Amino acid sequence: MKSFLTLLAALLALCALGFLLGSYESDVYRKLLLWIALGLSFNFLFGISGQVAFSHFVFLGFGAYWVAISLVHWDLPLAVAIASGLLVAAVAAAMIAIPSTRLEGPYLALATLALGQLFLLGIASGRDLTGGDSGLGGYSLPPILGFTVKGPWYTACIVLMLGLTYVILDRLDRSSFGRACRAIRDNQTAAQAMGINAPRTKVIAFTITSVLASLAGIFYAFVDNLVAPGAFSLESMFILLFMVIVGGTGRQLGAIIGVVVLYMAPFFIEPLIGHYHFMAFGALVVILIIYKPNGLVSMFDPILKRRRMAALEKAQL
Amino acid sequence: MQDFFELIVSGFASGCLYSLMGLSFLLVMRPTGVVNFAVGQYAMLGGFAAVAVMTTILIPPIALPYVPGLLVVLALMALLGAAVEWIAVKPLVDRGAPPVASMLSLLGVLIVLLEVGARFGGTEALPTEPPFGFRRVEFGPFAGTPQSLFTIAVTLVIFAAVWLFFERTLWGRAFEAVSLDRRAAQLMGVNLRLVTVSAFASSAVVAGLVGVLISGTTGAYYQVGMALTVQGFTALVVGGVGRVDGALLGGVLLGLLEALVMRYLPVSSSMTLAVPLVVLLAFLVLRPHGLLANRGGH
Amino acid sequence: MIAAPLLSVRGLTKRFGGLLAVDELDFDLSAGEVLAVIGPNGAGKSTTFGLVCGAIQRSAGEIILKGARLDGLPPHEVARRGVFRTFQHNMAFKGMSLVDNVLIGAHRRFKGSLFGVVAGFGADTERAERQRAIELARFVGLGDWLDADIATLSFGQGRLLEIARALAGEPKVLLLDEPGAGLTPSESVRLFAIIKEIAARGVAVLLIEHDMHFLMPLADRVVVLNFGRKIAEGTPAEIRADPEVVEAYLGNIAKDSTGAGAAHAAG
Repeated sequence: MKSFLTLLAALLALCALGFLLGSYESDVYRKLLLWIALGLSFNFLFGISGQVAFSHFVFLGFGAYWVAISLVHWDLPLAVAIASGLLVAAVAAAMIAIPSTRLEGPYLALATLALGQLFLLGIASGRDLTGGDSGLGGYSLPPILGFTVKGPWYTACIVLMLGLTYVILDRLDRSSFGRACRAIRDNQTAAQAMGINAPRTKVIAFTITSVLASLAGIFYAFVDNLVAPGAFSLESMFILLFMVIVGGTGRQLGAIIGVVVLYMAPFFIEPLIGHYHFMAFGALVVILIIYKPNGLVSMFDPILKRRRMAALEKAQL
Repeated sequence: MQDFFELIVSGFASGCLYSLMGLSFLLVMRPTGVVNFAVGQYAMLGGFAAVAVMTTILIPPIALPYVPGLLVVLALMALLGAAVEWIAVKPLVDRGAPPVASMLSLLGVLIVLLEVGARFGGTEALPTEPPFGFRRVEFGPFAGTPQSLFTIAVTLVIFAAVWLFFERTLWGRAFEAVSLDRRAAQLMGVNLRLVTVSAFASSAVVAGLVGVLISGTTGAYYQVGMALTVQGFTALVVGGVGRVDGALLGGVLLGLLEALVMRYLPVSSSMTLAVPLVVLLAFLVLRPHGLLANRGGH
Repeated sequence: MIAAPLLSVRGLTKRFGGLLAVDELDFDLSAGEVLAVIGPNGAGKSTTFGLVCGAIQRSAGEIILKGARLDGLPPHEVARRGVFRTFQHNMAFKGMSLVDNVLIGAHRRFKGSLFGVVAGFGADTERAERQRAIELARFVGLGDWLDADIATLSFGQGRLLEIARALAGEPKVLLLDEPGAGLTPSESVRLFAIIKEIAARGVAVLLIEHDMHFLMPLADRVVVLNFGRKIAEGTPAEIRADPEVVEAYLGNIAKDSTGAGAAHAAG
């Protein structure tokens, strides 16, 4: 109950912040929230399930393009566009996962990377359907139940989506399913000997996280009312991977910290060092993997542990 | 028909480049188990280094002739490879971290190298003159540029040398022993440090050579790295991962396929980029052990 | 031993290329019984474990658990039917807490769907299983280490953790691959008591062990393997008196004097 109230308070605060920001800050803020949602689902896929997959932005892009194309070309109602998008994403993710999760580390990485490149090539050569390199625009969020949702109210919708993503992943993480994912990541042979169906578990983890990425993509489509291939490039995928590593692989809080730090960093360091932030991220990742493999979040561990011990003592009294 | 034979030669030549990229992966994978996706960036940097050292572009006062220039570039690449190992891999191996940790840290290196290349060489493709001129060499029905023939010859020499090294020399045996069992190899007196550093250095040299060869045809460009990484890895997967002969076969087949698709299929030129991607996915799903897997191997 | 066998192995054979790793192996195992598999290195003991657990696919033969075929099933299905194992090398889940490690063994008892999980059900099962896992960790002597980082556990503690993890699955058959190797004397005494206790609760225990001093008073029966073949089977006393066994295995141990109980076993 206490954790539920904490979450509710956090979401309300995030919504409230949306009402205080100007239009430029609002745009930055919404994208930050979307990055956090992506970071959380990618952390489950990569950090908890242990699958080094570069396909996360494919599913983000899929969700965004699907909803945009549904509105522009197919004139579908919004609810139908969203529901069908998530359904198709789930089927596609499962179909991709069934052969590819059999692949080990580097092979999965390169297979999903190839998939991402093919996705971009497909969009670029999609002519009118996808708008090619310049992207697809000229649509806007249709009224929902008669209300036109815009400005901070749309930001609140994104916060809601982020909250949903967080709750789903947090509950999965704390369940026997999340534990099974970690066990497979740490030692697949031992996990299977303890009764865990490793291929099935990996496919489910891949599918759920990919659908969540597509959900974020659907919300992304109405941030600029434009979807263009540049947003789903390999560079973005690398940054997402780096965010999770920097924050703390395998921990929800770590993913949030990593996304916030790396997303905000360019705004602060660009005036100092110019356009070198991507290079700096690469160097930071090497340094952290070597000297702080548990990420920035591990700096808070002593505090968290002390609090847990205090709570334990209190409970025993 | 003559057109077809010319196509075969040029496809074979670009296939050789993919084979060399595959070899670059393999030189590190075999003894250490680490997959280094940054090899494509070595090639990109090798190309820029060639332009810098051999022409008056980038570094105007230095313009060495081809052979000394090539040697300087390859020496630089060896240093780079050893430095990457020392900075990004050794601390992890010392700590006993799994190979995937090295793979991730090398992804960080990949981005650093990519950005360094883009700052140093710029984001425009640098056109360079082919070192052997624009002539056309004919032999029987075949014909090709001197650059193509040079590429093919160099590749065959390198693969022959690598094969001899692994099969016939004590040092090559040391590499093999390390690939089979690191602890046992160490107990047998193999110097693990030396093997690992030479593996990373030679991998960078081979990839750097690819960059030099490419700069002589299509010029040096900061974005060639990722494409070459995919093409090299595809060559490995097609031929059969872990095999030197597999890398050669896979690369050449991929190069020929690309050339044929580009010439005879009615697709836009950007879609030829899809060829290695589709081949890679098809092989990983349908035949993950590659073409040579059934003839012994591991 | 009067009851019908729980686990029956018939004609079990494994070829690696031209090499016969396990050759026409037969044995039975009853509930509550401790059966030891001994033999020199490379005799096929660990391969036999892999075959029974489904980690290695057999070339021929049958593995039957309570009348149902086990062979051909993937490892997780074998575990779900109640056959659990520990490993010769340390196979703990390094990124997880000690209690979570033990809880993995109980995985097959978490029945709820993922939708149920997301909706917030299953907290009671989780709490109950967690409590049981803590009790199991205490049972194997790791009660003071519940909060410890897995990486800081000693080799012997890692062994005990694996036993707790396997026990969490409430196995019908428990396979222990050299559980005593690398244990301190006090850990070894505890392990002996633990295995006795497990068998007394009706679990069938299959055991690979080199230390004859440890094994002889523990095992009800012993199967001796050499080059993949069963060369003897019987009570510990019969095995110790068998000249072929002494020739193939026990004699060597006495000569190498590898185990503490080697002289005792051979003499």
